[in-house]
Amino acid sequence: MENLYLAPTPSSPEVDFKFDQHQLHLRGESYPENAAAFYGEILRQLRAYLAGCTAQQVTVNIALAYFNSSSTKMLFNMIEALNDAVAAGNSITVNWFHDEEDDTILEFGEELSSDFPDIEFINQPVSAA
Amino acid sequence: MVHEYETFLDSARQNRVIFYYVGYFSQNIVAAMAEAVKLQLEVSGANGPTRRKLFSCFVEMAQNIIHYSADALTPSTQMDRELRHGSVCISEQDGEYLLLCANPVRTTIAADLRERLEPLRSMTLEEIKQAYKETLRADATEGSKGAGMGFLTMARDAREPLVFDFQALPGSEDTAMFYLKAVI
Repeated sequence: MENLYLAPTPSSPEVDFKFDQHQLHLRGESYPENAAAFYGEILRQLRAYLAGCTAQQVTVNIALAYFNSSSTKMLFNMIEALNDAVAAGNSITVNWFHDEEDDTILEFGEELSSDFPDIEFINQPVSAA
Repeated sequence: MVHEYETFLDSARQNRVIFYYVGYFSQNIVAAMAEAVKLQLEVSGANGPTRRKLFSCFVEMAQNIIHYSADALTPSTQMDRELRHGSVCISEQDGEYLLLCANPVRTTIAADLRERLEPLRSMTLEEIKQAYKETLRADATEGSKGAGMGFLTMARDAREPLVFDFQALPGSEDTAMFYLKAVI
């Protein structure tokens, strides 16, 4: 299927899902006006891609400097979809990038990691300097 | 005229106002304000965690105005590119930051807001975090555009319970002014 690329805006992240390379990237800040609408289409394509994967290693890099409450909900749904793909026999690695001082994003990552233990979750603190 | 403006600026300075906006809120306006607030907080000398909490709370408040203010230029059925009226203010007081916002709401939703905000006031931080986790895993609240997590996010970031109030608007029976305050 076609790769998915959405350029970043001040309030929405860069979405760079290279399905052909099994490398998915989310970068930037996320507080779109309507997170359900913004992530709805992304989730639809992600699920379609995952449905076609068998015994596949997929790497997901999430580097969001800020996400609002409604984006948080959508990220949770995205990780849930990835977790379902592990149950279907794939291997998923999530690199969770965050500012080393940002406890909120760190804690949310830890929560996702304990909720979805089948995903290989790698905490990636980034130094602010 | 200039003198009156001077008085206004003096008053803002005395109240240590860092940022104030009143007018229509759209997503583009909020994104531009977010940039201004970020810069302002960087020069204010607040530490990283405080800046992040302030920024987070600011965005939640501003987006609530886009979604829920009763004073809309766009039809209430429109879910995208909305334009609604309100105000937001950030000020500093004895090393604490105050975030205030105000916007008119329909009296019919005032009861719902009260019902969602009042319980948060008596919850501990641990209880707020627990409620946040549960809401995150629940299906989206009916009629809510923010998955019902905006207030929980603000309550989690604030160092004191959120304060809210409704004031009757003269000459209007079906709308009231909604005020919300968070101390970071």
